Amino acid sequence: MTGTAIATMVVICGLVWGGFVTLLVRAMRREGQKQRGDGLDR
Amino acid sequence: MSRAEVFTSRWGMLVATLGMAVGTGNIWRFPRIAASNGGGSFLVAWVVFLFLWSVPLMIVEFSFGKRARRGAVGSFVRMGGPGMAWMGGFVALCATAIMFYYSVVTGWCFRYLAASLTGGLEGQAASEQLWSSFAGTPKALVTHFLALALGVAVVAFGVRGIERVAKVLIPTLVAMVMILAVRAVTLPGAEKGLAFLFTPNWGDLASPRIWLEALTQNAWDTGAGWGLILTYAIYMRAREDISLNAFLIGFGNNSMSLLAGIMVLCTVFAINPGAQAEIVGAGNEGLTFIWMPQLFAAMPGGGVFMVLFFAALSFAALTSLIAMLELATRVLIDAGLKRRHAIGVVGVAGLAFGTPSALSMKVFQNQDWVWGVGLMLSGLFVALAARRFGLERLRTEMANGEGSDLRIGRWWVWLVGVLVPLEALTLMVWWLWEARGWDPESWLDPLGTFSVGTVLAQWALGLTLLLLLNRWLARRSGVAPEEVGT
Repeated sequence: MTGTAIATMVVICGLVWGGFVTLLVRAMRREGQKQRGDGLDR
Repeated sequence: MSRAEVFTSRWGMLVATLGMAVGTGNIWRFPRIAASNGGGSFLVAWVVFLFLWSVPLMIVEFSFGKRARRGAVGSFVRMGGPGMAWMGGFVALCATAIMFYYSVVTGWCFRYLAASLTGGLEGQAASEQLWSSFAGTPKALVTHFLALALGVAVVAFGVRGIERVAKVLIPTLVAMVMILAVRAVTLPGAEKGLAFLFTPNWGDLASPRIWLEALTQNAWDTGAGWGLILTYAIYMRAREDISLNAFLIGFGNNSMSLLAGIMVLCTVFAINPGAQAEIVGAGNEGLTFIWMPQLFAAMPGGGVFMVLFFAALSFAALTSLIAMLELATRVLIDAGLKRRHAIGVVGVAGLAFGTPSALSMKVFQNQDWVWGVGLMLSGLFVALAARRFGLERLRTEMANGEGSDLRIGRWWVWLVGVLVPLEALTLMVWWLWEARGWDPESWLDPLGTFSVGTVLAQWALGLTLLLLLNRWLARRSGVAPEEVGT
């Protein structure tokens, strides 16, 4: 693999997978905060 | 909404919606399209359109479903007015027409899963023999029925049934695709597959085709603009977020596509690098049902990975089929039917109208072509209905409203109001122009498999009926006159 291919792989995978994991962690944290703050969230 | 008609948790809603988005298109189309359109440069365009098509439309759909608490037709009536019932009807028609043949595809996946479990795919010629003796024959009707029956059984239990099934299938699907991808990248020679997928040719980015293919892939595999997210959003809790969830589903869907691309291309390059052009060019069914079993058969311990591959494909297909069944069912529930009657009608219709696609590959390919392009019109209608309601109002009251975990800026108004309609129109014109070149002699033939004429004729038939029935559709949408525009 060339350096350009490796760099592209790191950027694309980092953005897509890293973005997904970051958003998932944020969503779950916010959910926890909402439930602690509001009791039953309905 | 009663407690029984709401997702029990955010996690439940997310896995169900991810199950809707991740389908066979992620596993069998994305690797082929990425490989044949410049690899790394295609991936750049594909990520760009995640932000310029998929996520903006997902935010609209989440907002519509959560606000209107109605299916595709009722949401369009409430948000856009009774004059837009036919547009919601087209969105529902398009997704339902896809459901008819998608059930056939799900059945194929089940058949290959069974064959991989019983050793029926051992030997280099086994997969080809199975395909030629199965696809387009009455045997495919049996698996079509089985897939529909499973989907109907889940949807009959309502959103709780959908959530329970998704909570099991989606984490299992993610785990299986990750195992397959890790196995693929550790095969000797797999680095050639990674190089093929990720080596960019920056000059390709000057080609409109790369961008149009990347936009098409986003339109087809994220589920944005199909009306499916809108349907699941009906069951969101009152204080559920919209924008962060839309980004999460978009990124989650594309994460799975990327894993599938790595898994498929590394396997191809490690096992049979000489045939990569033939494999990538074999089409969705050729790659999945003929070549992949042959590659697994030649891999050490390949039998186990073949089972994982077809199980993953079956889970992905089934969870997407469930979403399509729920969309059609919800429209009938809004019209006044009880759930068990509505899913019964949808199941019988699915069996009847899916049968031609099960028995004939030509019919299957024709329907896939007509309604695949129809999804672009569907996306356009979703954007137009949002414009009619008021994009700034939708942004402030819904996307940034109660429960919001992520503030959306005014850029979204511009994207949905201007760019998304332009993208939809460009894609439709481009695909129809391409089709004109495939068969210059009979491109207007309404009976051609891949002609422009067949698309226009079937759309015209559907749209004419919907326009004639517009008032009736609006009355049966479950929306009271005083609710319109609120």
